[in-house]
Amino acid sequence: MTVRDVIVIGGGPAGVAAAAELGRAGLEVTLCEQGSALGGAIHRQAGDPSRSVPVPSAQSARWRRLQAALAATKAEILTRHAFAGLDGTGAVLIEDRGRGRVISMRAKALVLAVGGLERVMPRPGWHLPGVMTAGGMQLMMKATGRAPAGAVLLAGSGPLLLAVAAQMTVLGNPPVAILERSRQVLSPLRAARLLLRPAYIAEAAGYMARLFRAGVPWRLGATLQALRPTGAGRLEAVIVDAAGVESRVTVDKVALHDGLRSSSDRLPVAAPGRDGQPLVVMAGDCREALGGLAAIADGRKAAHDVIAQLLGGAPDSAADNQVIDGERQAQRTLAGLFDFGSGDLSVLPDDTILCQCEGGTVGDLKRLLASDDRPSPREVKLNGRFGMGACQGRFCVEWAGVLMAQPTGGPQPSAADFAGRRWPMRPLAITSLLDAVADDATLPASSEESD
Amino acid sequence: MTGAPHQFFWEHRPVEFEASDSIAAALVRAGIVDFGSRPDGSGARYFCGIGACQACVVSVDGVLVEACLTPAHAGQQVRPARGSVP
Repeated sequence: MTVRDVIVIGGGPAGVAAAAELGRAGLEVTLCEQGSALGGAIHRQAGDPSRSVPVPSAQSARWRRLQAALAATKAEILTRHAFAGLDGTGAVLIEDRGRGRVISMRAKALVLAVGGLERVMPRPGWHLPGVMTAGGMQLMMKATGRAPAGAVLLAGSGPLLLAVAAQMTVLGNPPVAILERSRQVLSPLRAARLLLRPAYIAEAAGYMARLFRAGVPWRLGATLQALRPTGAGRLEAVIVDAAGVESRVTVDKVALHDGLRSSSDRLPVAAPGRDGQPLVVMAGDCREALGGLAAIADGRKAAHDVIAQLLGGAPDSAADNQVIDGERQAQRTLAGLFDFGSGDLSVLPDDTILCQCEGGTVGDLKRLLASDDRPSPREVKLNGRFGMGACQGRFCVEWAGVLMAQPTGGPQPSAADFAGRRWPMRPLAITSLLDAVADDATLPASSEESD
Repeated sequence: MTGAPHQFFWEHRPVEFEASDSIAAALVRAGIVDFGSRPDGSGARYFCGIGACQACVVSVDGVLVEACLTPAHAGQQVRPARGSVP
Protein backbone atom coordinates (compact mmCIF):
# COMPACT_ATOMS: atom_id res chain seq x y z
CA MET A 1 0.00 0.00 0.00
CA THR A 2 1.17 3.52 -0.75
CA VAL A 3 2.45 5.31 2.33
CA ARG A 4 1.85 9.04 2.11
CA ASP A 5 3.97 11.45 4.08
CA VAL A 6 1.05 13.15 5.82
CA ILE A 7 -2.73 12.92 5.92
CA VAL A 8 -4.42 16.05 7.25
CA ILE A 9 -8.02 15.69 8.42
CA GLY A 10 -10.21 18.77 8.31
CA GLY A 11 -10.35 21.62 5.79
CA GLY A 12 -10.88 24.45 8.25
CA PRO A 13 -8.23 27.05 9.12
CA ALA A 14 -6.06 24.66 11.18
CA GLY A 15 -6.07 21.88 8.58
CA VAL A 16 -5.49 24.19 5.62
CA ALA A 17 -2.69 26.05 7.45
CA ALA A 18 -1.07 22.71 8.33
CA ALA A 19 -1.41 21.29 4.80
CA ALA A 20 0.00 24.47 3.25
CA GLU A 21 2.99 24.52 5.60
CA LEU A 22 3.66 20.79 5.10
CA GLY A 23 3.38 21.10 1.33
CA ARG A 24 5.71 24.10 1.32
CA ALA A 25 8.30 21.96 3.12
CA GLY A 26 8.11 19.46 0.24
CA LEU A 27 6.10 16.75 1.98
CA GLU A 28 3.44 14.79 0.15
CA VAL A 29 0.13 15.78 1.72
CA THR A 30 -3.45 14.55 1.40
CA LEU A 31 -6.06 16.87 2.91
CA CYS A 32 -9.45 15.29 3.68
CA GLU A 33 -12.56 17.40 4.28
CA GLN A 34 -15.97 15.94 5.15
CA GLY A 35 -17.91 18.77 3.49
CA SER A 36 -18.17 19.72 -0.16
CA ALA A 37 -15.73 22.63 0.14
CA LEU A 38 -12.87 23.77 2.33
CA GLY A 39 -13.38 26.50 4.93
CA GLY A 40 -14.59 24.75 8.05
CA ALA A 41 -17.32 26.29 10.15
CA ILE A 42 -15.70 29.71 10.38
CA HIS A 43 -14.96 30.21 6.69
CA ARG A 44 -18.02 28.50 5.26
CA GLN A 45 -18.85 30.17 1.95
CA ALA A 46 -22.30 30.77 0.49
CA GLY A 47 -23.26 28.49 -2.40
CA ASP A 48 -24.37 31.63 -4.22
CA PRO A 49 -21.54 34.20 -3.78
CA SER A 50 -23.96 37.12 -4.26
CA ARG A 51 -25.67 36.05 -1.03
CA SER A 52 -22.66 35.94 1.25
CA VAL A 53 -23.04 36.71 4.93
CA PRO A 54 -20.97 39.65 6.18
CA VAL A 55 -17.97 38.62 8.28
CA PRO A 56 -15.15 40.82 9.65
CA SER A 57 -12.87 41.81 6.75
CA ALA A 58 -9.72 40.61 8.58
CA GLN A 59 -11.36 37.17 8.78
CA SER A 60 -12.04 36.94 5.03
CA ALA A 61 -8.52 38.23 4.29
CA ARG A 62 -7.04 35.45 6.45
CA TRP A 63 -9.00 32.83 4.57
CA ARG A 64 -7.90 34.21 1.17
CA ARG A 65 -4.27 34.02 2.30
CA LEU A 66 -4.70 30.44 3.51
CA GLN A 67 -6.31 29.37 0.25
CA ALA A 68 -3.50 30.97 -1.74
CA ALA A 69 -0.85 29.28 0.41
CA LEU A 70 -2.52 25.89 -0.09
CA ALA A 71 -2.93 26.42 -3.83
CA ALA A 72 0.82 27.05 -4.08
CA THR A 73 1.49 23.47 -2.94
CA LYS A 74 0.86 20.10 -4.58
CA ALA A 75 -1.38 18.94 -1.73
CA GLU A 76 -4.06 16.48 -2.79
CA ILE A 77 -7.50 17.69 -1.66
CA LEU A 78 -10.28 15.16 -1.09
CA THR A 79 -13.63 16.76 -0.30
CA ARG A 80 -16.56 14.73 1.06
CA HIS A 81 -13.98 12.48 2.70
CA ALA A 82 -14.59 12.12 6.45
CA PHE A 83 -12.28 10.69 9.09
CA ALA A 84 -13.61 7.34 10.31
CA GLY A 85 -10.74 6.37 12.59
CA LEU A 86 -7.24 5.06 13.11
CA ASP A 87 -7.23 1.29 13.43
CA GLY A 88 -4.96 -0.93 15.48
CA THR A 89 -2.62 -1.54 12.55
CA GLY A 90 -2.10 2.20 12.00
CA ALA A 91 -4.34 2.39 8.93
CA VAL A 92 -6.18 5.70 8.57
CA LEU A 93 -9.80 4.96 7.68
CA ILE A 94 -11.50 7.56 5.53
CA GLU A 95 -15.15 7.46 4.53
CA ASP A 96 -15.61 8.46 0.91
CA ARG A 97 -19.09 9.92 1.28
CA GLY A 98 -19.72 10.27 -2.43
CA ARG A 99 -19.15 6.57 -3.07
CA GLY A 100 -20.38 5.34 0.30
CA ARG A 101 -17.30 3.29 1.12
CA VAL A 102 -14.37 3.34 3.47
CA ILE A 103 -10.84 3.79 2.16
CA SER A 104 -7.85 2.56 4.13
CA MET A 105 -4.79 4.81 3.80
CA ARG A 106 -1.35 4.83 5.37
CA ALA A 107 0.81 7.80 6.25
CA LYS A 108 3.90 8.59 8.26
CA ALA A 109 1.99 11.30 10.08
CA LEU A 110 -1.65 12.14 10.71
CA VAL A 111 -2.72 15.70 11.54
CA LEU A 112 -6.18 15.87 13.11
CA ALA A 113 -7.84 19.24 12.64
CA VAL A 114 -11.49 18.24 12.90
CA GLY A 115 -12.71 21.28 14.84
CA GLY A 116 -14.22 21.71 18.27
CA LEU A 117 -17.69 20.99 19.54
CA GLU A 118 -20.42 23.35 20.58
CA ARG A 119 -21.66 23.04 24.14
CA VAL A 120 -25.40 23.10 24.66
CA MET A 121 -26.79 22.68 28.17
CA PRO A 122 -29.80 20.44 28.41
CA ARG A 123 -33.12 22.15 28.97
CA PRO A 124 -36.64 20.74 28.81
CA GLY A 125 -37.57 20.66 25.13
CA TRP A 126 -34.06 21.09 23.69
CA HIS A 127 -34.64 17.98 21.58
CA LEU A 128 -37.63 19.41 19.69
CA PRO A 129 -37.62 20.12 15.93
CA GLY A 130 -36.81 23.79 15.36
CA VAL A 131 -34.25 23.83 18.18
CA MET A 132 -30.63 23.86 17.00
CA THR A 133 -27.21 25.00 18.09
CA ALA A 134 -26.33 28.64 17.38
CA GLY A 135 -23.31 27.39 15.42
CA GLY A 136 -25.58 25.14 13.38
CA MET A 137 -27.91 28.05 12.67
CA GLN A 138 -24.96 30.23 11.68
CA LEU A 139 -23.57 27.56 9.34
CA MET A 140 -26.88 27.24 7.55
CA MET A 141 -27.04 31.02 7.28
CA LYS A 142 -23.50 31.23 5.86
CA ALA A 143 -24.12 28.42 3.39
CA THR A 144 -27.47 29.69 2.11
CA GLY A 145 -26.98 33.43 2.53
CA ARG A 146 -30.40 33.65 4.14
CA ALA A 147 -31.53 34.28 7.69
CA PRO A 148 -33.58 31.49 9.24
CA ALA A 149 -37.27 32.14 8.61
CA GLY A 150 -39.84 32.98 11.26
CA ALA A 151 -39.52 34.23 14.82
CA VAL A 152 -36.15 33.15 16.23
CA LEU A 153 -34.97 33.19 19.84
CA LEU A 154 -31.27 32.90 20.75
CA ALA A 155 -30.34 31.68 24.23
CA GLY A 156 -27.42 30.54 26.35
CA SER A 157 -24.19 32.46 26.69
CA GLY A 158 -21.36 33.75 24.60
CA PRO A 159 -20.22 36.14 21.91
CA LEU A 160 -21.41 33.75 19.19
CA LEU A 161 -25.02 34.63 20.08
CA LEU A 162 -24.24 38.29 19.33
CA ALA A 163 -22.56 37.41 16.03
CA VAL A 164 -25.47 35.22 14.89
CA ALA A 165 -27.99 37.89 15.89
CA ALA A 166 -26.10 40.60 14.02
CA GLN A 167 -25.81 38.44 10.87
CA MET A 168 -29.53 37.63 11.03
CA THR A 169 -30.26 41.35 11.32
CA VAL A 170 -28.17 42.18 8.24
CA LEU A 171 -29.96 39.43 6.32
CA GLY A 172 -33.33 40.94 7.19
CA ASN A 173 -34.72 38.82 10.04
CA PRO A 174 -33.45 40.00 13.43
CA PRO A 175 -34.06 37.58 16.31
CA VAL A 176 -36.89 38.18 18.78
CA ALA A 177 -34.30 38.45 21.59
CA ILE A 178 -30.95 37.18 22.83
CA LEU A 179 -31.14 35.62 26.28
CA GLU A 180 -27.64 35.93 27.78
CA ARG A 181 -27.21 33.98 31.01
CA SER A 182 -24.32 36.14 32.23
CA ARG A 183 -25.27 39.25 34.20
CA GLN A 184 -21.86 40.81 34.07
CA VAL A 185 -20.82 41.05 30.43
CA LEU A 186 -20.88 44.81 30.59
CA SER A 187 -19.15 45.14 33.94
CA PRO A 188 -16.66 47.93 33.26
CA LEU A 189 -13.85 46.45 35.33
CA ARG A 190 -13.89 43.17 33.49
CA ALA A 191 -14.53 44.78 30.13
CA ALA A 192 -11.41 46.90 30.61
CA ARG A 193 -9.29 43.78 30.52
CA LEU A 194 -10.70 43.00 27.11
CA LEU A 195 -9.11 46.20 25.84
CA LEU A 196 -6.00 44.09 25.58
CA ARG A 197 -7.57 42.65 22.45
CA PRO A 198 -8.82 45.59 20.36
CA ALA A 199 -9.99 43.35 17.51
CA TYR A 200 -12.50 41.62 19.79
CA ILE A 201 -13.82 44.94 21.09
CA ALA A 202 -14.27 46.29 17.57
CA GLU A 203 -16.07 43.17 16.38
CA ALA A 204 -18.39 43.06 19.41
CA ALA A 205 -19.07 46.81 19.23
CA GLY A 206 -20.04 46.45 15.57
CA TYR A 207 -22.47 43.65 16.37
CA MET A 208 -23.96 45.50 19.33
CA ALA A 209 -24.47 48.73 17.39
CA ARG A 210 -26.30 46.81 14.68
CA LEU A 211 -28.50 45.03 17.20
CA PHE A 212 -29.23 48.25 19.07
CA ARG A 213 -30.32 49.99 15.86
CA ALA A 214 -32.58 47.06 15.00
CA GLY A 215 -34.06 47.08 18.51
CA VAL A 216 -33.01 43.52 19.33
CA PRO A 217 -33.06 43.07 23.10
CA TRP A 218 -29.89 41.54 24.59
CA ARG A 219 -31.33 40.38 27.92
CA LEU A 220 -28.52 39.94 30.41
CA GLY A 221 -29.18 37.47 33.20
CA ALA A 222 -32.17 35.98 31.34
CA THR A 223 -32.37 32.24 30.87
CA LEU A 224 -34.44 29.90 28.78
CA GLN A 225 -36.08 27.54 31.28
CA ALA A 226 -38.06 25.30 28.97
CA LEU A 227 -39.45 24.83 25.48
CA ARG A 228 -42.81 23.28 24.75
CA PRO A 229 -44.33 22.38 21.42
CA THR A 230 -47.46 24.30 20.53
CA GLY A 231 -50.11 22.50 18.51
CA ALA A 232 -49.24 24.55 15.43
CA GLY A 233 -45.66 23.31 15.10
CA ARG A 234 -44.23 26.31 16.95
CA LEU A 235 -42.31 26.48 20.22
CA GLU A 236 -43.39 28.14 23.45
CA ALA A 237 -40.34 29.40 25.34
CA VAL A 238 -40.44 29.90 29.11
CA ILE A 239 -38.04 32.71 30.03
CA VAL A 240 -36.88 33.77 33.49
CA ASP A 241 -35.26 37.20 33.61
CA ALA A 242 -32.51 38.49 35.88
CA ALA A 243 -35.09 39.54 38.51
CA GLY A 244 -36.62 36.05 38.49
CA VAL A 245 -39.76 37.12 36.60
CA GLU A 246 -41.16 34.49 34.26
CA SER A 247 -42.52 35.26 30.81
CA ARG A 248 -43.47 33.29 27.72
CA VAL A 249 -42.96 33.85 24.03
CA THR A 250 -43.96 31.72 21.05
CA VAL A 251 -41.35 31.36 18.33
CA ASP A 252 -40.54 29.21 15.29
CA LYS A 253 -36.89 28.43 15.91
CA VAL A 254 -34.53 28.49 18.86
CA ALA A 255 -30.73 28.53 18.74
CA LEU A 256 -28.83 27.42 21.85
CA HIS A 257 -25.16 27.96 22.68
CA ASP A 258 -23.14 27.56 25.88
CA GLY A 259 -19.61 27.98 24.58
CA LEU A 260 -17.23 25.79 22.63
CA ARG A 261 -14.93 23.00 23.69
CA SER A 262 -12.22 20.86 22.22
CA SER A 263 -12.96 17.37 20.94
CA SER A 264 -9.53 15.96 21.82
CA ASP A 265 -10.95 13.60 24.42
CA ARG A 266 -12.39 11.35 21.75
CA LEU A 267 -9.70 11.52 19.09
CA PRO A 268 -7.08 8.80 18.72
CA VAL A 269 -3.71 9.46 20.28
CA ALA A 270 -0.34 8.34 18.99
CA ALA A 271 0.80 4.87 20.00
CA PRO A 272 4.55 5.49 19.89
CA GLY A 273 6.75 2.59 19.05
CA ARG A 274 3.98 0.44 17.61
CA ASP A 275 4.70 -0.79 14.14
CA GLY A 276 2.83 0.99 11.40
CA GLN A 277 1.34 3.66 13.66
CA PRO A 278 1.69 7.17 12.28
CA LEU A 279 2.77 10.16 14.30
CA VAL A 280 -0.54 11.77 15.41
CA VAL A 281 -0.78 15.52 16.03
CA MET A 282 -3.91 17.53 16.82
CA ALA A 283 -4.36 21.11 15.65
CA GLY A 284 -6.90 23.88 16.06
CA ASP A 285 -10.15 23.87 18.01
CA CYS A 286 -10.19 20.06 18.30
CA ARG A 287 -7.02 20.32 20.42
CA GLU A 288 -8.02 23.45 22.33
CA ALA A 289 -11.00 25.67 21.48
CA LEU A 290 -9.28 29.02 20.91
CA GLY A 291 -11.01 30.18 17.73
CA GLY A 292 -10.06 30.76 14.12
CA LEU A 293 -7.01 32.98 14.57
CA ALA A 294 -5.29 30.56 16.95
CA ALA A 295 -6.30 27.65 14.70
CA ILE A 296 -4.11 28.96 11.87
CA ALA A 297 -1.11 29.31 14.18
CA ASP A 298 -1.83 25.92 15.72
CA GLY A 299 -2.06 24.29 12.29
CA ARG A 300 1.34 25.70 11.34
CA LYS A 301 2.76 24.58 14.66
CA ALA A 302 1.44 21.04 14.13
CA ALA A 303 3.06 21.08 10.68
CA HIS A 304 6.35 22.13 12.27
CA ASP A 305 6.16 19.16 14.66
CA VAL A 306 5.62 16.81 11.72
CA ILE A 307 8.41 18.42 9.67
CA ALA A 308 10.82 18.08 12.60
CA GLN A 309 9.99 14.36 12.87
CA LEU A 310 9.98 13.48 9.19
CA LEU A 311 12.61 15.81 7.78
CA GLY A 312 14.64 16.72 10.86
CA GLY A 313 15.53 20.24 11.87
CA ALA A 314 13.58 22.44 14.22
CA PRO A 315 11.21 24.83 12.44
CA ASP A 316 10.58 27.98 14.44
CA SER A 317 7.12 28.15 16.00
CA ALA A 318 7.81 31.14 18.25
CA ALA A 319 5.49 33.54 16.39
CA ASP A 320 2.75 30.91 16.30
CA ASN A 321 3.13 30.22 20.01
CA GLN A 322 2.74 33.91 20.68
CA VAL A 323 -0.55 34.02 18.76
CA ILE A 324 -1.83 30.92 20.56
CA ASP A 325 -0.90 32.32 23.99
CA GLY A 326 -2.60 35.62 23.18
CA GLU A 327 -5.79 33.91 22.04
CA ARG A 328 -5.75 31.67 25.12
CA GLN A 329 -5.64 34.80 27.26
CA ALA A 330 -8.50 36.35 25.26
CA GLN A 331 -10.61 33.21 25.65
CA ARG A 332 -9.96 33.25 29.39
CA THR A 333 -11.16 36.84 29.56
CA LEU A 334 -14.27 36.01 27.53
CA ALA A 335 -14.97 33.00 29.76
CA GLY A 336 -14.90 35.40 32.72
CA LEU A 337 -17.38 37.77 31.07
CA PHE A 338 -19.80 35.18 29.79
CA ASP A 339 -21.27 32.29 31.75
CA PHE A 340 -20.21 28.96 30.28
CA GLY A 341 -20.47 27.36 33.72
CA SER A 342 -22.35 24.14 33.82
CA GLY A 343 -25.05 25.74 35.96
CA ASP A 344 -27.14 23.79 38.38
CA LEU A 345 -28.37 20.85 36.38
CA SER A 346 -29.95 19.34 39.49
CA VAL A 347 -32.86 21.79 39.08
CA LEU A 348 -33.81 20.20 35.75
CA PRO A 349 -37.12 18.32 35.94
CA ASP A 350 -36.61 14.55 35.94
CA ASP A 351 -38.33 14.15 32.59
CA THR A 352 -35.80 16.42 30.85
CA ILE A 353 -34.15 14.52 28.04
CA LEU A 354 -30.41 14.24 28.58
CA CYS A 355 -29.53 11.86 25.75
CA GLN A 356 -31.09 13.23 22.58
CA CYS A 357 -30.23 10.10 20.64
CA GLU A 358 -32.05 7.54 22.76
CA GLY A 359 -34.26 9.66 24.99
CA GLY A 360 -32.58 8.89 28.34
CA THR A 361 -33.75 11.46 30.91
CA VAL A 362 -32.23 13.24 33.89
CA GLY A 363 -34.46 11.03 36.07
CA ASP A 364 -33.15 7.87 34.40
CA LEU A 365 -29.60 8.91 35.25
CA LYS A 366 -30.50 9.89 38.82
CA ARG A 367 -32.12 6.49 39.40
CA LEU A 368 -29.05 4.75 38.06
CA LEU A 369 -26.79 6.82 40.32
CA ALA A 370 -28.98 6.22 43.38
CA SER A 371 -28.19 2.51 43.45
CA ASP A 372 -26.12 1.28 46.41
CA ASP A 373 -23.35 0.20 44.11
CA ARG A 374 -22.60 3.58 42.54
CA PRO A 375 -21.87 3.03 38.84
CA SER A 376 -18.68 4.14 37.10
CA PRO A 377 -18.90 6.32 33.98
CA ARG A 378 -18.35 3.19 31.93
CA GLU A 379 -21.31 1.49 33.63
CA VAL A 380 -23.43 4.60 33.15
CA LYS A 381 -22.73 4.20 29.46
CA LEU A 382 -23.22 0.45 29.27
CA ASN A 383 -26.22 0.16 31.60
CA GLY A 384 -27.79 3.60 31.29
CA ARG A 385 -26.90 4.07 27.63
CA PHE A 386 -25.67 7.65 28.19
CA GLY A 387 -22.97 8.10 25.57
CA MET A 388 -24.06 4.95 23.76
CA GLY A 389 -26.23 6.60 21.10
CA ALA A 390 -25.45 7.71 17.59
CA CYS A 391 -23.68 10.95 18.63
CA GLN A 392 -21.39 8.83 20.82
CA GLY A 393 -22.00 11.11 23.79
CA ARG A 394 -20.85 14.31 22.15
CA PHE A 395 -23.92 16.15 23.43
CA CYS A 396 -24.69 14.38 26.71
CA VAL A 397 -21.73 12.87 28.57
CA GLU A 398 -20.39 16.26 29.71
CA TRP A 399 -23.72 16.84 31.46
CA ALA A 400 -23.99 13.26 32.69
CA GLY A 401 -20.54 13.86 34.19
CA VAL A 402 -21.71 17.06 35.90
CA LEU A 403 -24.72 15.26 37.37
CA MET A 404 -22.48 12.42 38.56
CA ALA A 405 -19.99 14.77 40.23
CA GLN A 406 -22.50 17.26 41.69
CA PRO A 407 -23.71 15.34 44.75
CA THR A 408 -20.30 13.94 45.68
CA GLY A 409 -18.21 17.01 44.91
CA GLY A 410 -15.80 14.57 43.31
CA PRO A 411 -13.96 15.07 40.03
CA GLN A 412 -16.08 15.25 36.93
CA PRO A 413 -15.58 12.24 34.65
CA SER A 414 -14.33 13.05 31.16
CA ALA A 415 -15.86 11.97 27.87
CA ALA A 416 -13.04 9.42 27.52
CA ASP A 417 -14.06 7.92 30.92
CA PHE A 418 -17.49 7.17 29.47
CA ALA A 419 -16.80 6.30 25.91
CA GLY A 420 -13.10 5.63 25.49
CA ARG A 421 -11.30 6.41 22.27
CA ARG A 422 -12.27 4.06 19.53
CA TRP A 423 -13.20 4.02 15.92
CA PRO A 424 -15.41 4.53 14.01
CA MET A 425 -15.68 8.20 14.90
CA ARG A 426 -19.27 8.19 13.57
CA PRO A 427 -21.80 5.52 12.73
CA LEU A 428 -20.81 3.88 9.44
CA ALA A 429 -22.87 1.66 7.19
CA ILE A 430 -21.69 -1.93 7.54
CA THR A 431 -21.70 -2.13 3.75
CA SER A 432 -19.19 0.72 3.55
CA LEU A 433 -16.84 -1.27 5.79
CA LEU A 434 -17.41 -4.55 3.93
CA ASP A 435 -16.32 -2.75 0.80
CA ALA A 436 -13.34 -1.11 2.51
CA VAL A 437 -10.52 -0.84 0.05
CA ALA A 438 -6.88 0.02 0.22
CA ASP A 439 -6.77 3.39 -1.49
CA ASP A 440 -4.12 2.45 -4.05
CA ALA A 441 -6.08 -0.64 -5.00
CA THR A 442 -8.57 1.44 -6.91
CA LEU A 443 -7.38 5.02 -6.87
CA PRO A 444 -4.13 6.14 -8.41
CA ALA A 445 -2.24 8.13 -5.78
CA SER A 446 -2.38 11.23 -7.96
CA SER A 447 -6.12 11.08 -8.53
CA GLU A 448 -7.88 14.38 -8.08
CA GLU A 449 -11.30 14.26 -6.54
CA SER A 450 -13.81 17.01 -6.39
CA ASP A 451 -17.30 16.53 -5.05
CA MET B 1 -39.82 10.03 -11.46
CA THR B 2 -36.92 12.45 -11.37
CA GLY B 3 -38.82 15.75 -11.25
CA ALA B 4 -37.60 19.26 -12.05
CA PRO B 5 -33.87 20.06 -12.18
CA HIS B 6 -33.89 21.63 -8.72
CA GLN B 7 -36.24 19.37 -6.85
CA PHE B 8 -35.83 16.35 -4.67
CA PHE B 9 -38.57 14.47 -2.88
CA TRP B 10 -39.35 14.43 0.82
CA GLU B 11 -41.76 11.58 1.40
CA HIS B 12 -42.74 11.86 -2.27
CA ARG B 13 -43.45 15.59 -1.98
CA PRO B 14 -41.26 17.83 -4.18
CA VAL B 15 -38.83 20.15 -2.35
CA GLU B 16 -37.04 22.96 -4.20
CA PHE B 17 -33.31 23.40 -3.62
CA GLU B 18 -30.63 25.82 -4.74
CA ALA B 19 -27.21 24.96 -6.10
CA SER B 20 -24.93 23.70 -3.31
CA ASP B 21 -27.77 23.41 -0.78
CA SER B 22 -27.49 20.58 1.70
CA ILE B 23 -30.60 18.45 2.02
CA ALA B 24 -31.09 19.90 5.52
CA ALA B 25 -30.92 23.50 4.26
CA ALA B 26 -33.49 22.83 1.54
CA LEU B 27 -35.85 21.02 3.93
CA VAL B 28 -35.67 23.77 6.56
CA ARG B 29 -36.20 26.47 3.92
CA ALA B 30 -39.29 24.57 2.76
CA GLY B 31 -40.59 24.77 6.32
CA ILE B 32 -39.83 21.14 7.13
CA VAL B 33 -38.04 21.11 10.50
CA ASP B 34 -39.29 17.74 11.69
CA PHE B 35 -37.30 15.07 9.81
CA GLY B 36 -39.38 12.20 11.20
CA SER B 37 -37.82 9.42 13.25
CA ARG B 38 -34.31 8.07 13.38
CA PRO B 39 -33.59 4.34 13.36
CA ASP B 40 -33.65 4.29 17.19
CA GLY B 41 -37.08 5.95 17.22
CA SER B 42 -35.94 9.37 18.47
CA GLY B 43 -36.90 12.51 16.57
CA ALA B 44 -34.79 13.66 13.64
CA ARG B 45 -34.07 17.32 12.95
CA TYR B 46 -31.28 19.71 12.07
CA PHE B 47 -29.21 20.47 15.17
CA CYS B 48 -25.39 20.89 15.05
CA GLY B 49 -24.74 21.34 11.33
CA ILE B 50 -21.36 19.56 11.39
CA GLY B 51 -22.31 15.90 11.40
CA ALA B 52 -21.43 15.49 15.07
CA CYS B 53 -24.89 15.03 16.62
CA GLN B 54 -26.35 12.60 14.06
CA ALA B 55 -29.77 14.17 14.75
CA CYS B 56 -30.44 14.94 11.08
CA VAL B 57 -29.93 11.41 9.78
CA VAL B 58 -32.39 10.71 6.97
CA SER B 59 -32.64 8.14 4.21
CA VAL B 60 -31.49 9.35 0.79
CA ASP B 61 -32.22 6.83 -1.94
CA GLY B 62 -32.20 4.13 0.72
CA VAL B 63 -28.90 5.12 2.35
CA LEU B 64 -28.80 6.66 5.84
CA VAL B 65 -26.84 9.92 5.78
CA GLU B 66 -26.61 13.20 7.70
CA ALA B 67 -28.88 15.70 5.92
CA CYS B 68 -26.54 18.54 6.96
CA LEU B 69 -23.54 17.02 5.15
CA THR B 70 -25.28 15.68 2.07
CA PRO B 71 -25.63 17.87 -1.02
CA ALA B 72 -29.09 18.04 -2.57
CA HIS B 73 -29.41 16.57 -6.06
CA ALA B 74 -32.35 16.43 -8.44
CA GLY B 75 -34.63 13.46 -8.01
CA GLN B 76 -33.28 12.21 -4.67
CA GLN B 77 -35.85 10.28 -2.67
CA VAL B 78 -35.49 11.55 0.89
CA ARG B 79 -37.43 9.96 3.74
CA PRO B 80 -37.31 9.70 7.51
CA ALA B 81 -34.61 7.22 8.49
CA ARG B 82 -36.97 4.95 10.38
CA GLY B 83 -38.86 2.50 8.30
CA SER B 84 -37.43 3.91 5.10
CA VAL B 85 -34.82 1.35 4.18
CA PRO B 86 -36.11 -0.63 1.23
